[in-house]
Amino acid sequence: MHFEPSLGDAAFRAEVREFIELHLPQGMARRSYICSQPPDIGDFRRWQRILHDRGWGAPHWPVGFGGTDWTAMQRHIFMEEIYRADAIDYGWQGTHMIGPVLIAFGSEAQKRRYLPPMLRGDEIWCQGFSEPNAGSDLASLRTRAELVGDEWVIHGQKIWTSDAGEADWGFFLVRTDPSAKPQRGISMLLVPMSAPGIRIRPIEALNGGRDLNEVFLDGVCVPRENLVGEPGQGWTYAKYLLEKERTASAYLYRNKRELEKAKEIARAERAGGQRLIDTPEFARKIARVEVDLLALEWSVLRILAGEKNQHDADAVVSALKIRGSEMQQRVAELQIDALGPRALRVFRQHDRSAEVIEGTPLWPAYVPGRLGQFLYARAATLYGGTREVQKNIIARRVFGL
Amino acid sequence: MDLDLTDEQQMLRDGARRFFREHYGFDVRRALLASETGMSAGCWARYAELGWLALGQPEEAGGWPCTFVETAILLEEFGRALALEPYVSTVVLCGHILARCDHGGAARAELQAVVEGRDRLALAHDEVGGRYDTERPSVVAGRRGEDFLLRGCKSWVLDAQAADRLIVSARPEGAGDLALFLVDATAAGVRMSTYSLVDGTRAADVVLDDVRVPASCLLADEVAAPVVLREAIDRAALARVAMALGAMEAVLQMTADYLKTRVQFGQPLGRFQALQHRLAEMFVEVQEARSILCCGLAHIDAPAVQRGAMVSAAKVVAVNAARIVGAQAIQLHGSIAMTAEYAAGHYYTHLLAFEKLYGDADWHLDRFAAHAVA
Repeated sequence: MHFEPSLGDAAFRAEVREFIELHLPQGMARRSYICSQPPDIGDFRRWQRILHDRGWGAPHWPVGFGGTDWTAMQRHIFMEEIYRADAIDYGWQGTHMIGPVLIAFGSEAQKRRYLPPMLRGDEIWCQGFSEPNAGSDLASLRTRAELVGDEWVIHGQKIWTSDAGEADWGFFLVRTDPSAKPQRGISMLLVPMSAPGIRIRPIEALNGGRDLNEVFLDGVCVPRENLVGEPGQGWTYAKYLLEKERTASAYLYRNKRELEKAKEIARAERAGGQRLIDTPEFARKIARVEVDLLALEWSVLRILAGEKNQHDADAVVSALKIRGSEMQQRVAELQIDALGPRALRVFRQHDRSAEVIEGTPLWPAYVPGRLGQFLYARAATLYGGTREVQKNIIARRVFGL
Repeated sequence: MDLDLTDEQQMLRDGARRFFREHYGFDVRRALLASETGMSAGCWARYAELGWLALGQPEEAGGWPCTFVETAILLEEFGRALALEPYVSTVVLCGHILARCDHGGAARAELQAVVEGRDRLALAHDEVGGRYDTERPSVVAGRRGEDFLLRGCKSWVLDAQAADRLIVSARPEGAGDLALFLVDATAAGVRMSTYSLVDGTRAADVVLDDVRVPASCLLADEVAAPVVLREAIDRAALARVAMALGAMEAVLQMTADYLKTRVQFGQPLGRFQALQHRLAEMFVEVQEARSILCCGLAHIDAPAVQRGAMVSAAKVVAVNAARIVGAQAIQLHGSIAMTAEYAAGHYYTHLLAFEKLYGDADWHLDRFAAHAVA
């Protein structure tokens, strides 16, 4: 056991930092500072292209598919630098979710067709998993697909589909064998979001955002070859996709950056004639969050370093998800607390006017966006498996209960 | 960075776990609690034979030079077994001070005695009113020819009853705020009144009534003393985090086992989701405690300010975890955990003692904040 960083990590960090400084458009960084979650789709496309041109479009992919041969620690450094600079986190649903699934289970034709435009940011992806009656109990999903001739015909409804309106493609979990046990009857299909029979209804979120959607599929036809891997294996692929990046559920990089923002606010805001950050009460409040964030960071480092953990790997990831999601909420709470009553003013999520982006003396740029991100953070303990589901997993995997 | 144990480290862990399993059962420990010194001199001799008292000490003193990781590994097992011997006082605290002050002479000889298991030591630093910051002790070290004369009162000297020697902090007359002296625990003028702490360990108030100390037993002068003392206390604080981690893991497992066997309402308690979730929450706390221990270990040899901040972070996170795990262990067990005849409560009191020793969570949170929040 030793803690010495690897030779070359510092040089690698410098290389990444320099690249980002040179290539990240200033306006994009400002917009991402205001609201990073979800990113502006146009910005996302541009930034993905910039990273791709450098060969960094999907660092976690195998080299042969346009990825890198970086170590886990280098990928960690890369993500720290991305967030530190308010650059855009690369495409979750594309390069992070369906990309690795296609690399592992897709046909050669699928890899050729879908991976390159995904890597370039030319095609945006969305994920069709949840349904009105299949949330935590995802295996009870009812959207069905039937093979008619050479086409899958899909009927059903999905919900909470982020970016459905902007996405070119979706990967959908559908029931293809109603007679099999719930998990075994599910398959994964790739669906063009422009297909006839798809209707998208945006859902206005608590924070005013409109990136969540209901997606209705009414006799949508896709070719037979749009099935991923084997029929009946959709559940396995979905699990694979959710577990691929084991440390992602800590949201470590976002949390670290957002804590910095909370400190920036507390340095600028004043209370009782002094900087808020200089009041012992608020300093302790920040410190309390920061020590837990350090623990979270070391939980991530333990996984990255490949520690042969004595506990079940799924349970460790669930613990990470619980802490990481709660941390998003706590950091957002700090920001809101630091802003005081000013936190309550509503700024439209996609307001990109100069007053918002540059700030004004009365309303500095650190105000807009914080309320929206705070509200969005309430979902952190819901998406990707609720906190309660994570606790079930821990009880089962660690204690056999 | 490599977070896996080396073969040697794994052997240390396995050996310690086996030793405590075979020689330190609940009944053995209860008998020790009732004994006069509250610890086992026999076990101490075994620790010396096993090489545990040599961990991290310089070769010149017969030590086994290694990183602090080894100490943490061993103390995790101490915590798992709730071992009562004054390892932290003697080896981690005083052993470090001796090693840092080793310019040959008294310190070297004393260090050899520690490594060989001949002497146990206690640190006499805290004073009434000082809480966790006795930067300028009221105990004075006057001069009597070449010798020093120590006069004053120390409080809260952990493990004093089992100590052969004390390391005493005192204000040298006319030369700064703080110096460290090696004092024979049975020297003329040393009076101890011993008391028990909640976890069964002992401490004492120590009156020093013109205790004569030869100049050769001045370990650290006013320049070195504050630095060395802070290092040693930080190491002790982190060592106790490792102990607490071992204790938390043990009591969590004990609680899970209990929930599987205890039947109420016609089924094992472990079937109830409310209780499963409580266990899961305890598991998360223990995971985070292990992670923050890694953070502390990674910085234990860093420059003072950074080291202090990371040790403080470790303490704050671990105390929070200990409160949750300790309290829930009792709650999930039910009344059985309230008895002295059952181990769960002993883990609870161990974790309670851990909270308050070498700086509590409030003290450490403020130190962390001073470093990180500005």
